[in-house]
Amino acid sequence: MSTSTPNRVIAPARPASSRAGRHDDVFRRQLARLGWGLSSPALILIAAVTIFPICYAIAMSVSNVSATGNGFSLSGLTGSNYSIMVHAAQWRYALFFTVFYTVVTVAVEVAIGTAIALVLERLTVGRGWMMALLLIPWSMITVINAQLWGYIYNPTYGALDNIFSHLGLGTPVFLGTRVPAIAALMVADIWKTTPFVAIIVLAGLVMIPRDYYEAAEVDGANGWTTFWRITFPQLRPTIALAVLFRVLQAFGLFDLPFVLTSGGPGYSTQPLAILAYNAMFRDLDFGPGAAVATSTALLVVIGSLLFLKVFRSQAGSEA
Amino acid sequence: MGSSIPRFRRPAAVLFTAVGMASALTLAACGSSSSSTSPGAAGSSATSSASGSATSGNITWWASPITTSTPDPRTVLISAFEKAYPKIHVSLQSAPTDTDTNRASLITTISGGAASPDVYMGDVIWPAQFGKAGLAVPLSKYLPSSYFSGFAPGLVQGATYSSQVWGAPFFEDQGFLYYRKDLLAKEHMSVPTTWQQLESDAVTLVHKGDVKYGYVWQGASYEGLTCNFMEYLGSAGGSVLNPGLTSATVNSSAGTQALSFMRSLITSGATPGAVTTFQEAQAMSAFATGQAAFLRNWNYGWIYSNTASSPSSVVGKVGVAPLPGFSGQTLPGTSNIGGWNLYINPHSKNVAADLTFIKWMTGSDAQTILATQFAEIPTLQSVRSSAAVVAKNPVLATVPKTRLIPRPAQSPAYAKVSQAIYTNVNSVLSGATSPSAGLSSMASQINSAESSTGL
Repeated sequence: MSTSTPNRVIAPARPASSRAGRHDDVFRRQLARLGWGLSSPALILIAAVTIFPICYAIAMSVSNVSATGNGFSLSGLTGSNYSIMVHAAQWRYALFFTVFYTVVTVAVEVAIGTAIALVLERLTVGRGWMMALLLIPWSMITVINAQLWGYIYNPTYGALDNIFSHLGLGTPVFLGTRVPAIAALMVADIWKTTPFVAIIVLAGLVMIPRDYYEAAEVDGANGWTTFWRITFPQLRPTIALAVLFRVLQAFGLFDLPFVLTSGGPGYSTQPLAILAYNAMFRDLDFGPGAAVATSTALLVVIGSLLFLKVFRSQAGSEA
Repeated sequence: MGSSIPRFRRPAAVLFTAVGMASALTLAACGSSSSSTSPGAAGSSATSSASGSATSGNITWWASPITTSTPDPRTVLISAFEKAYPKIHVSLQSAPTDTDTNRASLITTISGGAASPDVYMGDVIWPAQFGKAGLAVPLSKYLPSSYFSGFAPGLVQGATYSSQVWGAPFFEDQGFLYYRKDLLAKEHMSVPTTWQQLESDAVTLVHKGDVKYGYVWQGASYEGLTCNFMEYLGSAGGSVLNPGLTSATVNSSAGTQALSFMRSLITSGATPGAVTTFQEAQAMSAFATGQAAFLRNWNYGWIYSNTASSPSSVVGKVGVAPLPGFSGQTLPGTSNIGGWNLYINPHSKNVAADLTFIKWMTGSDAQTILATQFAEIPTLQSVRSSAAVVAKNPVLATVPKTRLIPRPAQSPAYAKVSQAIYTNVNSVLSGATSPSAGLSSMASQINSAESSTGL
């Protein structure tokens, strides 16, 4: 992104400029050099903590990796890490679980988030307060969030357990049974991230020109028609942005199941990120672990690009 | 329309963001640097002076909390050590309480080449994995066999992998049965010696309304469930792996008996369904708050539930016994061995001082402190059998009566073997899988772990 600065400096090669202009050029070139100099520590740091690990993980995923007391030694080029991964039932389940979890939570979050945004937009009194309240779940660290939900779901003294037994519905073990455990994780996730979607959608709502609504009113459209014909099409880019952000995050699901279920019962709540973590740091299977991590990242990138493409072609056909 | 769409004018920028976020998944940011010190180099420089006789230097000791009691046993031991060796300064680095998180932190630290911590307290199930990956110093290269012969039987063998001893036994844990003396007396019951008797007593106590839960133990999907399963399996006469550690033997009639019984504890109402989410802390607190009649826990269960300083509401009402066995088979049942060893980081700059520290911590002074002040089971045979020590530690009086069973930790793939055990047992306990299906999936996962063909 910062490459645009030097280009702009070099580009205006005015042949017969005034002294003042030339002075200006020299000044800007110096400024650009200073800018590069000042930002290079940050750029180097970003390269070291982002680009290097990504490349290293990709290299690990295609090599025979052995962990020694002195770090890793990578040797040879092999596809066996990916072959181990693809043949593992655990990986196939984790992939299914992660995709399923992402689709369900993102869909619910977008639906509820949009509804909340529509209400917030009409609020005249206390909108600031409502938004501040809404942001509390979103701003809480997920691990703490998960611990608090852990108290709610706790099968011996949890709030939910108490409510269920008072209603005579028995004492279900929410985190110890497969379907309720998955649902419990989704509820905690939706509770935390719906406000994020709501705030983004609200920003989009505010930007829709008022005269569209006035025109609709003149034409006698009812609320439902107005939403589907004006609000929703106008919101689509914003919703797409929210979906993209959420998909990227949901696909990296780690902390919620790590704290609440550690993947159990059995493997039923084990997402790809926990699978990769366990393979690497518990079993010291760095090669297959890197294969899981790399393929997960690749899937997210491909998924996001596909989503953008579909979204754009739809938007294009409607325009 | 057109004006509001192009928020994604730059696919490259979006892609960059996507890759950046996904990089959180690649997890490989840790411990990838390689250090110039090889364990060989560290070893050879130390060999000359490393008979464990250094009397000065600085040591960092990585240890997770040993008990929740005050004062902290780690600081008590350190100050006693520094009194004995005033020129050696020990700084404590507190490790995560969760053994898996603890291990992950250590692995990234040591394989990253860090020289600190010098000495770390590690689980008894780590020697094979750490020895194979070069994450510990083979202590048997520096310490004579006379040093190792002082420990209680089985402990040194448990710390051995590929004929080297990788850790010095620091304290031992075993599974025990804790029971409520007052409740048993009220219903005229004797202390159960068989699992079947325990189950029916627990059901009776719950049905009579004496207590909320009958028998609580550790059934969550984690290492502790492997320990619990090993105890039922051992009592039924089964094993997880063949002696050559090449193939699973768990899918047997003993395995079926063990796993079906564990599930029946829940279906009969002896054990609450919530046990599938219980680790030590949850089981312990259910018992210590008076909600459960029986508890399976490690030796600290005694000090936690039955001493005046504990937060327990059942002080004075607690008894301790060996775990039951299956009726018609050898009694008592088997108790799993847990506990902690002291290991040396291969990058440590001061191996000689590390050895001095380890020798003192496993010597009679430190072991007596652990046994008498903190109710741990000492690893040193002479301390364990000392009458003065046993008098202050009632759990030790039960220790000679227990029958021990180790986990199959001699395999470098043990972490995966254990995961195959606890995830499948947990799934059976939750009712999602039948015992026979759980055992066959467990066996096939263990086999693929041993042949390193699975995740």
